[in-house]
Amino acid sequence: MTTRQRIDLLARAYPRLFPRAELLRLVRDQLGHVDALDRWIVRGGKRVRAKAPQSIYHICAGNLAVSARTSIVHGLVLGAHNSVKLPGDRDDASTRQEILGFIRGLPAPLRKLVEAHNKLDEKALHRADAVVAFGSDATMTSIREKLRFDQKFVAHGHAVSLLWLSAPNKLTSKQARACATDVLTYDQLGCLSPQAIYVPPGANVEALAEKLAQALETEWLASAKKPARPLSVAARIAEARDVAFARGHRVWLPPSRHLGWMLISDPDPAFSPSPLHGVIVLRRCAEAKLVKALSVVSGRISTVGVAGRLSSRLEKDFLSLGVSRFCPAGRMQFPPLTWHHDGRQTLAELVTWIDAEGRA
Amino acid sequence: MSLDFDFTKPAGRSAWTRELLAPMDEVKFDELARILFAWQHARVPALEKLCAAHGIVPASLPSWKDIPAMPQQVFKLERLYARGLRKPAATYETSGTTTGQPGRQFLADIDIYRAVALGNAARPTCEGLAHLHFLVPSPQDAAHSSLSAMFGFWAEEFGAKRTAFWVNNNTIHFVALRAVLETQCRQGVPIGIAGTAFSFVHAIDAWADLPPLELPPGSWLLETGGFKGRSREVSKPELYAQLARTFSVPDADIFNEYGMSELSSQAYARGTKGLHETPPWARVLVVNPMTGREVRVGQKGLVRWIDLANTDSVMALQTLDLAERTAQGFRLIGRLPRTEPRGCSLSAEDLAAIK
Repeated sequence: MTTRQRIDLLARAYPRLFPRAELLRLVRDQLGHVDALDRWIVRGGKRVRAKAPQSIYHICAGNLAVSARTSIVHGLVLGAHNSVKLPGDRDDASTRQEILGFIRGLPAPLRKLVEAHNKLDEKALHRADAVVAFGSDATMTSIREKLRFDQKFVAHGHAVSLLWLSAPNKLTSKQARACATDVLTYDQLGCLSPQAIYVPPGANVEALAEKLAQALETEWLASAKKPARPLSVAARIAEARDVAFARGHRVWLPPSRHLGWMLISDPDPAFSPSPLHGVIVLRRCAEAKLVKALSVVSGRISTVGVAGRLSSRLEKDFLSLGVSRFCPAGRMQFPPLTWHHDGRQTLAELVTWIDAEGRA
Repeated sequence: MSLDFDFTKPAGRSAWTRELLAPMDEVKFDELARILFAWQHARVPALEKLCAAHGIVPASLPSWKDIPAMPQQVFKLERLYARGLRKPAATYETSGTTTGQPGRQFLADIDIYRAVALGNAARPTCEGLAHLHFLVPSPQDAAHSSLSAMFGFWAEEFGAKRTAFWVNNNTIHFVALRAVLETQCRQGVPIGIAGTAFSFVHAIDAWADLPPLELPPGSWLLETGGFKGRSREVSKPELYAQLARTFSVPDADIFNEYGMSELSSQAYARGTKGLHETPPWARVLVVNPMTGREVRVGQKGLVRWIDLANTDSVMALQTLDLAERTAQGFRLIGRLPRTEPRGCSLSAEDLAAIK
């Protein structure tokens, strides 16, 4: 089966998640030619062709199915055999079910290239040509220790994301709703979920927060499937609320006091992780002080969602902090397939190249 | 009962301590709780803010159960001290293993802490003991450890000659301890050994190849602290079984102390299955975090302490410890597990690990 045939099958099975044109663009962007895996192509005056790994071991995180889904699709586009380590028992079973459902929905010729495991299969891991993993830094470290020196390893460890509102006093309702979408999509559980909203000094925080609170409530009410709030989640949300109360921070809560979202205004610009699950912190920070405020997560900022315009100074500062993606507010959770996840060429990193030079 | 307790004066604190140690019924507990709450509310700004957000004022408090509980986390972020600029006599710090930042408990004087530490479990367990050993640093070596301070009170009360601290410079001196214990075992007088759960695990490991110690009848062990931030965890039944083997003490003579640096009182449980009991001047509520109200008997919730001995900071403390409410009180389950997956999303704990 050729790359184009596999892409056609994928796009037919999941046209909205994996449109054909985007998959073709992904391969073209990263391998230089859609047919690079299937025949010799000419590049830089010589013939080259890409060789896909025969087998890829995917280790999925328990928080979200979307990264696992994309990783499996990358493996299928390459034509590799894919072993998928599903999230463990202590993780949310719905993520596991979602991944399994996705695999079941693949067309038969592709489905036979995927096998799922509930437990880490050390032998399959050791045999794999490449390993792609998602999770905590500690997980990445422990996986790396198990690998051969010549195995390709694409590790996606800890990351955070945030929103920047350049003109908060002029934030439109549409922009506020876009911010709410970023916060509440996937219950704020992914590394693309903003954990803080930064605004420049001079922002009318009360008015801005009211607008954002309204948008959060509207977004929450509009979401078809409300995330669960088990004891462990409720406890951490209640703790965040009472800590903010005790510190004298302004807190905006849903009118009916449900635990779907909470907005806290913290005068301290220094980044601090949110307990997630809809808890978002509004921080005021001068552009000149942003690098210091975010230094604690330097090198770990995935995405900055922007409402308004990003000044060149700020862009430079964000780049110095290692930010690997900018996008408009409302799009943080929906990167294109061509996105360089954690700044990496996820597809290109998995292949090797064969060169055929001219005759002597 | 006098309602005029001045916690800034030694006489007022002594009077308060006498009330705590005297018989306590529900009416008296409620009355004392209201007095202390009003006093702290007027002097701890963070408590006043928390109460205002919950719409609670001391004058119209329905019951002691309605006193807003301070999240433990706030001890890491704010100075919760009811004595303003007065220099604390003692500052106790939490381990800071979760977020890398320790919580701080300030005591204007150690008088009340000392009195309740001696008036609680120490009285029934320590009296009559010939020897008492502590697997923690001495109070001199760990000035900011509330546990060392408490064991220091016990050592003073029950005789420094009969007591010893076996940890210094982060080292537990197992060889010397073993030699002393073997000698004392031959004397046939009871021995009490108190320490962190992890120090006992180290003892079990260190003496794994040696025959069990034959602690004389009447001896006991007291473990505390759990395994937070440690490289290895042992379940309670497993730990108690190993302790019973290593020290030749019955399960019923192994105690667990449940306390924390942010409090002045502790709860004690006996044996693997024993329930924790609080002293008369402290209560534990098992609450639903969504409502802040007590759960029904048989349901799980978070541990909330109301400690009338905690005069210098806040008396109501909200933990993230999980417990089941029982007809008699509560069954401690442990630290609330983070059951929801965070995957690649960075948490405060992760950030502390990175730092």
